[in-house]
Amino acid sequence: MEAGLQALDYAWLVVLLPFVAAVVIAAFGRLMPLKGSEVGIAAMAIAWVTSLVIGFQTFANGPVDALEQTFWTAPVGGLTIEFGQYVDGLTAMMLVLVTTVSLLVQLYSREYMHGEDRFTYFFAMLSLFTFSMLVLVIAPNTLQAIVGWELVGVCSYLLIGYYWREKSNVDAANKAFLVTKFADIGLLVGVIVLSVGVSAHTDNVFSISETIELAMAGELSSLTVIMGCLFIFLGAVGKSGQMPLHVWLPDAMAGPTPVSALIHAATMVTAGVFFVARLYPVFIQELVVMNVIAIVGVITLFFAGFLAIVQDDIKKVLAYSTVSQLGYMMAALGVGGYTAGIFHLFTHGFFKALLFLGSGSLIHAIHSNNMSDMGGMRRYMPWTFVTFLIGSLALAGFPLTAGFFSKDEILVSAQIWADNGLAMGTWVFWLGLAGALVTTFYMARSIFLIFFGEHRGVPARPSARTVADIEAEEASGVLDPQAEGEDLAQAAHDPDTSPTTGLGGHHAPHESGWQILTALVVLAVLSFPVGLAGGFLWDEVGGSTERNFETWTATHAIEEATYPFLPGADEHSEEGGEGEHAEEEGADEGEAAGLPGGPDDVALAAGPATTVLAAESAEGEISNHVLHGAPEFHLDVFVLALIAFLAAVAGAWAIYGRGHRERDPVLHMGGLTTVLVNKYYLDDIGYRGVVVPIRDHLAPATSWSSNVVLDGIVKGVGGGVKRLANVTYHTVDQKIIDGGVNGAAFSAAWWSNKLKHLQSGDVQRYAGAMLAGVIVLVVVFAAAR
Amino acid sequence: MTLIGPLVLAAFLFCVGLYGVMARRNAVLVLISVELMLNAVNINLVAFQNLVWTGDADATGQVFALFVIVVAAAEVGVGLAIVFNMFRNRASINIDDADLMRW
Repeated sequence: MEAGLQALDYAWLVVLLPFVAAVVIAAFGRLMPLKGSEVGIAAMAIAWVTSLVIGFQTFANGPVDALEQTFWTAPVGGLTIEFGQYVDGLTAMMLVLVTTVSLLVQLYSREYMHGEDRFTYFFAMLSLFTFSMLVLVIAPNTLQAIVGWELVGVCSYLLIGYYWREKSNVDAANKAFLVTKFADIGLLVGVIVLSVGVSAHTDNVFSISETIELAMAGELSSLTVIMGCLFIFLGAVGKSGQMPLHVWLPDAMAGPTPVSALIHAATMVTAGVFFVARLYPVFIQELVVMNVIAIVGVITLFFAGFLAIVQDDIKKVLAYSTVSQLGYMMAALGVGGYTAGIFHLFTHGFFKALLFLGSGSLIHAIHSNNMSDMGGMRRYMPWTFVTFLIGSLALAGFPLTAGFFSKDEILVSAQIWADNGLAMGTWVFWLGLAGALVTTFYMARSIFLIFFGEHRGVPARPSARTVADIEAEEASGVLDPQAEGEDLAQAAHDPDTSPTTGLGGHHAPHESGWQILTALVVLAVLSFPVGLAGGFLWDEVGGSTERNFETWTATHAIEEATYPFLPGADEHSEEGGEGEHAEEEGADEGEAAGLPGGPDDVALAAGPATTVLAAESAEGEISNHVLHGAPEFHLDVFVLALIAFLAAVAGAWAIYGRGHRERDPVLHMGGLTTVLVNKYYLDDIGYRGVVVPIRDHLAPATSWSSNVVLDGIVKGVGGGVKRLANVTYHTVDQKIIDGGVNGAAFSAAWWSNKLKHLQSGDVQRYAGAMLAGVIVLVVVFAAAR
Repeated sequence: MTLIGPLVLAAFLFCVGLYGVMARRNAVLVLISVELMLNAVNINLVAFQNLVWTGDADATGQVFALFVIVVAAAEVGVGLAIVFNMFRNRASINIDDADLMRW
C-alpha cells in the first residue's frame, strides 16, 4: 500500500455503521428519546468523517492502485465467492457522496418526518438504504455488487411505499420494484456472461479487477464483452432511469421527499452509472456497446427534459430532471467521457439533493406538491428560495456552479469523441446542448412559478392574524404531532388535494426549521466547491503534482485502458502503463499549441493541460486512450452553453416572469402538449404492451397451468404416495416388521417358560445330567477312535 | 503283574459311590459316597503308578493319592460344616429340601 492511505483499510467501517444503526434503530429505536434518529445520524456522521478522510487521502495521492481485501470467502467449491472491499478513487468519491447526502437527508428528515407514526421505521430504512448502496459501492466482485444492488431495490420499494395507506403509493412502489427488477435480470445475465468468459482464465470469476485486466488484455472474446456489457447496461438502464425504463422514477415521488432526495441524488439511480463506470475498461472494448450507451443516454437526456416542462408537481419536475441528468451521465460514458460522467454524477448528487430537499421544504410549508398552489414564496421562505435558486443554477449549468463544470466537461468529451470520427460525439454534443437549454427552461419556469408573483394557493393573511396566533398554531402543531403528520401525509402526497378544498384554512406558509435549513445551506454551499474539485482551479493543490477530480477517480486501469476499435491501438498497447508520462507530455504539447481554437479545432481546444486523446491528436496521430482529462476552459463550449442558458432564462421570463398566467403556454401547444403530458405514451405502452398481456393472458394461463396441471400432478403424486404409504404401513410395517418383533419376543417368552424347569434346584438331578453327559462324551470319543 | 484285580475293585467302589451320590437323600451319606468315589480313584492312581513306572524310584501316583486323601479330608470338613449349618437352619439334612436355587 502506498503511504498515506491507511484510512482505506477502514472503508468497511463506512459500510458497516449504517447497518448497525439500522439494526439498533429497528430494535430499540422506539425506546430512545429521539426515537432512533440520533443513532442513524450519529452512525452516519462517523461514516461521513471516515469517508472524508478516505476521500482526502485518495485525492491527495492521485491515481492509486485499488485496495482490494477479502473478509470472507464462501465455502463453496469451484467458484470463488467473496465478500470484501475494493477501495480506489471512484469508491472514495461515491463514499463521500453517499454519506454526505445521507447524513444531510437524515438531519432534514428529523424535522420533515416529525410526528409520523412510523418515524423510527423510516430512520431504520434510511440507514439500511444507505448501507445497501455502500455495499454496492465497495464491492470487489460483481456478486457482492448484485447483493447491494438488490438490497437497494428492496429498500427503495419499502420507502416509496412508506405512505402505504394510499393505494397509489403502493402501486408506485410496486412499479418501481418490478421495473427495476426486470432490468436486474439483465444485470444478472450480464454478470453471468462475463463470469463465464472470465472462468476460462481464473477461478475468481466474479472479481471486478480480474475481469477488467482480462478485458484490457483482450482475453475476453468480443461476443462475451458485447453480451455481458449490454446485459449489464440493461440493469443500469432500469436502475438509473434511462429511457424507456425510466417510468418508475417519476412515480417514485410517492415516497416522502427526503427519500426522493436520497434516491435521486446518492443511492439508487446512481447505482447504474456507477456500475458502468466501475466496469468501464470492459465497456470500452467494443464500439457497439459504447454506441448503445451513448444512444440511450442521449435519447434520455433529450426527451426526458421536455417532460419536465409540462409538469405541475414540483417533485415530478425534479424527477424528470433527474432522468435527463442521468441521461447526460450515460451519454458521457458512452462517448468516452469517463471522468465527465462520474463527475456529473458527483456534482448532480449534491445539487439534486439540494433541489429535492428544497422542494420538500416548500411542500412542508404549503402542504401541496403543485407549483400552481405556490407563487411568491420568496417572501415567506427566503432561505429556501436562495438555496433552491443556487441548486437550480447548478442544475442549469450557470458558470462557476457545480453543474457548469461537469456539464461542460461532458460536452467537451463529446467534442473529442466526434473529433475521432465517431458520429455519436456530435449527437451527444448538440443534443446535450439542447438538453441544457431545456433544463434551464424548466428550472427557470419552476423558479418563477414558485417564488415569484403572488401566493395563489393559500391566501396570505399576515395582517388578519397576529404573530401570536401563528405561534400558537405552530405550538399546537408541535404538541399534536400526530395530527400534523397526518395532514402532511395527506397533503404532501396526494397531488389532487388542492389547497382550496383540502387545506384552505391552514396557516400562511412559513420558513422551515433549522434542521431543514442546515441541510439546505450545507448543500447549497457545497454546490460550488464540488465543481471546483474537478476544475482547473485545483490544479496546483498537493504540491507540484496536479490534483483534481480526474486524478482522484482515475484508476490505473482507466489510465491504461485503450479503445481497441480506434486506430493506433498497437502503438499504445506498448506504451500502456505510462499514462502519467503520456499525460505530462500531453500537457506540454497542449500548452505549446496555445489557446483553444475554434470548433473546427476541437482537439486543440480540449486542453492545454491533460487529455491524452487531445494531445496525441495535436501530434497528428489519433490516440485511443480513454479520456480521463480534467475539464479545461473551452471558450467555444462556454459561450454556447451560456447562450443556451441565457436564451432559456429569457424565454422563461417572457412567459412566466410577470406572474402566473391562467393559460400556461406549455400546456397549450396542441399535439406536443398531449404527447408530453402523456409522457410519450410510454406508460400506456408499458400498460398495454406489458401489464395487460401479462395480467389478462399470461397470468391466467400461468394460473391455469399452476392450478390444473401442476396441482394435478402434485395431487396425483401426493395421492399415490399416500396410498403406497397406507399399504406399506398395514402390511410391511404392521404385519411383517411388527409381527417379526412380536414373534421374537413371544417365542422367547414361550421357550423360556418351558426351559425354566431344567433349573430344578435338585443337585442330584444335575449330577445325573453330568454323568449322562460324561457317558455320552465317552461313547462319542470311543466311537471316534 | 496283572491290574485286573485293583481296577475291578476300583470300578466297583466308584459305582457304589456314584449310586450313593445319585440315590441317597441323606446329606451325610452323600458325603460318604463321595469319599468312596475318591478312594476308587486313589486305588487307580496307585495301581497305574505300579504299571507305568515299575520298579522306579519315582512315586508320582502314590503322591497324587496322598494329595487326594488330604483334599478329601478337607472337603469332608467343609461339607460336614455345610450339613451342620443346614441342619441348624432347617432341622433336616435331606438334600431334596435344599432347593432354594430352583426356578
